Amino acid sequence: MTVALDRSSPPKAGRPAPFHFPRFERFRLDNGLEVFLAPRQGVPTIELSLLLPAGAERNPRDRPGLATLTAALLDEGSLRRTGPEIAATIERLGARLATRADWNGAQIEVDLLARDLATGVELLAELAREPQFPDHELERLRRQAMTELIRRRDQPALLAEEALARALYFDTPYEHLLLGSEQSVPTLARADVVEFHRSWYRPAGAAVLIGGDFEPAAARAMLERSLGDWRDLPAAPPSEILAPRRDGRSVLIVDRPRAAQTELRLAHVGIRRDHPQRNRLALLNALLGGKFTSRINLNLRERHGFTYGASSRFVERRSAGPFVVGAAVANQVAGAAAREVLAELDRLRREPVADDELAETQSYLVGVFPYTLQTTGGVLSRLQELATYGLPNDTFDRALDEIAAASPRDLLRLANDFIRPEEILIVAVGPAEQLRPQLGELGPVEVVEIAPAPGAPA
Amino acid sequence: MTIALPRELRRERLANGLDVVLYPDRTLPLVAVNLWYHVGSKNERPGRTGFAHLFEHMLFQGSAHVGTNDHFRHLQSIGGVANGSTWYDRTNYYETVPAHQLDLALWLESDRMGFLLPALDQRKLDNQRDVVMNERRQRVDNQPYGRPYERLFELLVPPDHPYHWPVIGTMEDIAAATLEEVREFFTTWYTPANAVLTLGGDFDPDDALDRVARYFGEIPGGAAPERTRHPLPPLAAPVRERVEDAVQLPRIYLAFRTPPFGTRDWFAASLLSSVLGEGKSSPLYHDLVYGRQIAQDVAAYVYPTEEIGIFLLVATAKPGVTPETLAEALWDHLGRAASSPPAAADLERARNSTLAGIYGHLETLDHRADQLSMYATYFDRPDLAWQEAERYLELGGDELAAFAGSALARAHGVELTVVPDGGGR
Repeated sequence: MTVALDRSSPPKAGRPAPFHFPRFERFRLDNGLEVFLAPRQGVPTIELSLLLPAGAERNPRDRPGLATLTAALLDEGSLRRTGPEIAATIERLGARLATRADWNGAQIEVDLLARDLATGVELLAELAREPQFPDHELERLRRQAMTELIRRRDQPALLAEEALARALYFDTPYEHLLLGSEQSVPTLARADVVEFHRSWYRPAGAAVLIGGDFEPAAARAMLERSLGDWRDLPAAPPSEILAPRRDGRSVLIVDRPRAAQTELRLAHVGIRRDHPQRNRLALLNALLGGKFTSRINLNLRERHGFTYGASSRFVERRSAGPFVVGAAVANQVAGAAAREVLAELDRLRREPVADDELAETQSYLVGVFPYTLQTTGGVLSRLQELATYGLPNDTFDRALDEIAAASPRDLLRLANDFIRPEEILIVAVGPAEQLRPQLGELGPVEVVEIAPAPGAPA
Repeated sequence: MTIALPRELRRERLANGLDVVLYPDRTLPLVAVNLWYHVGSKNERPGRTGFAHLFEHMLFQGSAHVGTNDHFRHLQSIGGVANGSTWYDRTNYYETVPAHQLDLALWLESDRMGFLLPALDQRKLDNQRDVVMNERRQRVDNQPYGRPYERLFELLVPPDHPYHWPVIGTMEDIAAATLEEVREFFTTWYTPANAVLTLGGDFDPDDALDRVARYFGEIPGGAAPERTRHPLPPLAAPVRERVEDAVQLPRIYLAFRTPPFGTRDWFAASLLSSVLGEGKSSPLYHDLVYGRQIAQDVAAYVYPTEEIGIFLLVATAKPGVTPETLAEALWDHLGRAASSPPAAADLERARNSTLAGIYGHLETLDHRADQLSMYATYFDRPDLAWQEAERYLELGGDELAAFAGSALARAHGVELTVVPDGGGR
């Protein structure tokens, strides 16, 4: 090298390549089942996913955990095979199978080698249409869930999320864990599961997605054969979940007297996934706490050293999920950290963001989007959003346009409309004795104990 | 079934010793820039642990031409993704950027390789020590089974072996780190000759090599640091210990020394872990979790470590099940694995799922670039990244049994039992 390089400023970029969302097909079978096909070359694998309108938002009031248990039982016995036979057949192919429910729906997911597509399609149909819910498997999974509930007590981050949900969503389905509670799980009976399955596992409102190395025409024919004769029954849409009104700030401490650190959350109710301001709020959130260089992370981590990482997010669900700021902080700075977060929320509502900070955040969100679509799983998770929330095909192109077009004025207005520090709930899981004096000034404090595990010595 | 991914590599060494691996794949307009330094926590010494990792944090605090928080700021503002990680044997730094921003990534990485020291100061070190102490609390001290897991490695290898201490280090050592030590660590280990730079993605190799030479060529070279190897035979006698932790359920860990990553026996250990514990139809899950229901979970896995390999079994007891019952059940399974080859169906499952796992990893450019850096760093053969599947498929069932018999016998194992401490939470 002859000429010394000028390192004093970042190099000029070349020209960006144009980017478009990967092509996919979207259509319906005659019975209403929606289909998404996203073929791509690369590695010889395929991912299939069947989404069903059978999420935990449909749980009967006195049956938290029912959607989760029903989904977990789908692969534990069908008309044709026992649970262990299903597992052995699938796993022998090197495939992975998962059945689960979240708030918005139930999912059956199969990842397999490209040669086994037909097996995968047949499996989706078998599990969705013919589960038998054997008593001994139901009993076993209830015990497994009870054990999981017992050991949640060891995990401070889970305790924080649980306390937050209970306080913000009191007396609604979102108040509970997806898994249910120590009261509800033992009461979940086979008749409940059968009825839940009969009501919500149906083609109307369901969607099947296939991504990876396959021929669309062949996949379509397989779907017609395995799922085309699935009889349609109209299903009522889920009713909206409305959180109770909050007045004023409050503090909830979950006491772990010997905890080495405090799990801190500041939260209030956020927005529905299909809210018209959702994309601009995603931009606002990225700037506030949704990336490494966000205000909250730079403040709590890089300026103060309070934490390994702090972030914020709008949790997306069909009804309004929570807006949550979270960090694991040293016990002695929990109060200072909470005050810094509140100050950042206030600043966002008081001052318009600087042009360059906005521009950086916009180009981050727009620029990073192709990166998230490198994998079949990345593409499918976007298509699942379209299916779950009934969104149009150009959703993501439009989202990027909206993000790119937002102004500092837009964000200031959004911050004032959607961020509400005056009604925030502060949850802290840690040593109450140390936390109470630090957090007492921020609102009325309630301290809760962690209940002893059932069967544990008192 | 074929993999339709490019495999062609080009490799060059700059005059200062930097090892450059170029892997063009023009499928997407992205470039993965992946830099491995052959230094990790194993290059620390007792009493000064956690240094390699703390140092990784310092490398994100700016360099002569890059401001304190500007590394992430520059990369994120162009839609890039960046991070780093520290392991026993190595430290890596990586970013994936839109292809037209390759120069930015090279500018950032070369600035901190060549021009870090002028930008280091006490204030940054104090801040990152606090951050890392909180990282340790979040990952270890405030997690169930966190400290017992560290104890497992203290039992498996002697105090003077570099896998004895945790990568993140002890709280006391992190607190004691000085600026002078940071400088010395950098000067010793962060040299071009101790690094591999892999570029993967959408670029022309000749053009990319010119750019690499422009940004990295002027960094002074030097010999690669000398390194001592730390092989260990299997444990000479069994080790058993019982510890308490703030948990609800007992847990058993069994741990064994194996030959290091890359050896035929290491691949046997890895395949055997999959035979025994991967999936609901695996013998461990089917027996302990599904059938007898004495475990809430069970897992078998290996560490891809360079000095020795490590084979681990972990199982958590159901309420009311004694840890002794669970431990005996695990030993029974290991005994069976040694006395006869796995059932044909189990071997087929493990082979296919290993294959699927390898394909899954090959999906992202970042991971392919990281694999190339790894094989270049450990074996001077980046192309071995494409041969992992064959290394697994060439193994027969009798070989797995022979491996279990020699390496996973009770006489060579650590058995660590974690029990609830009964105190307040």
